[in-house]
Amino acid sequence: MLFEDIYRDYWNKVFRICMGYVNDADWAKDVAQETFIIIWKQLPKFRNESAVGTWIFRIASNNCLRQIERQSRMPKTELPEQIEDKADPDREWQSKLLYKCIAELPETDRIIISLELEDVKQAEIAKITGLSESNVRVKIFRIKEKLTQKFKQYER
Amino acid sequence: MSDNIDFKQLWSSGKATVPDVSEIFAKADQLNRKIRNKIWRGNIILSLTIIFMIFIWWHYHPQLITTKIGLTLVILAIISFLISTNQMFPLLARTDEETDSQHFLEQMIRIKQKQEFLNKTMLTGYFIFLSIGLFLYMIEYAGRGSLIFQLSAYGITFAWIAFNWFYIRTKTIEKQQNAINDIINRLEAVNKQLLD
Repeated sequence: MLFEDIYRDYWNKVFRICMGYVNDADWAKDVAQETFIIIWKQLPKFRNESAVGTWIFRIASNNCLRQIERQSRMPKTELPEQIEDKADPDREWQSKLLYKCIAELPETDRIIISLELEDVKQAEIAKITGLSESNVRVKIFRIKEKLTQKFKQYER
Repeated sequence: MSDNIDFKQLWSSGKATVPDVSEIFAKADQLNRKIRNKIWRGNIILSLTIIFMIFIWWHYHPQLITTKIGLTLVILAIISFLISTNQMFPLLARTDEETDSQHFLEQMIRIKQKQEFLNKTMLTGYFIFLSIGLFLYMIEYAGRGSLIFQLSAYGITFAWIAFNWFYIRTKTIEKQQNAINDIINRLEAVNKQLLD
């Protein structure tokens, strides 16, 4: 498996997960890049014991959690400036709002919902987070409810 | 607004341009260099101090064994100081990034607790070694002066050591512990989210 292929296929996914976590494009880029540095270093040792996607998302999620160590930086709760979707300004605004709402959730909820929105199977999310599948299901349901509520509140 | 907001579609419309892959390699290189520089800095300070001690040893030909033990203790003190100021800590604590979030958080908490213990122990060791080292070192040279010289030399030294022990050591440990405890608390809070 070539690193360049993984990079091309997963950059956007990893970046979005980081973006959901920190809601700041420069910071998210940093975290995503650190994730790929680890992937690059560990790739020769990767033995297909788990799907490559699960492996990548584990590293990405842990790198997000590592941000807890950085005291000075808290996730922004402002609308991010940089996500580009010029075709439809209304949807662009909604997309930014979604990232803002996610960044306001508790840390692990941010990761779980980001993975869910990235279309990662719930069984895989369980493997990434270390939770049971049923637990993941319940959590996703609750997070979605919370997110919908927040989203509507801001939209009004 | 309908009740069913298509979050998935909104989510995936958040795209950023993919930076060139060479940026990753450049950043990896930059990080490596940073770590190497940090280790080098620590080693240079350490080597210079040891060279200085050996110079004293060689130039002043201490006669008493106490002086030699004193110098050795001061060197040990500096080594423990460097460890306690985190110069060498990254080498002692490696994390496994490929595990699941729950284990990762537990691992981070363990490492931070280890760091807290290490900082405290090393810093205390530093002050003990440095104080005893200085005391032993002074015996030979202070012994050559008058009584008043001896008294004032030891008096000033001990006042300085006491100030360091009771004020600077306590303050430093407190500061370090607060910082680490703060991180541990936050890690534990996040870990608890998973258990809810």
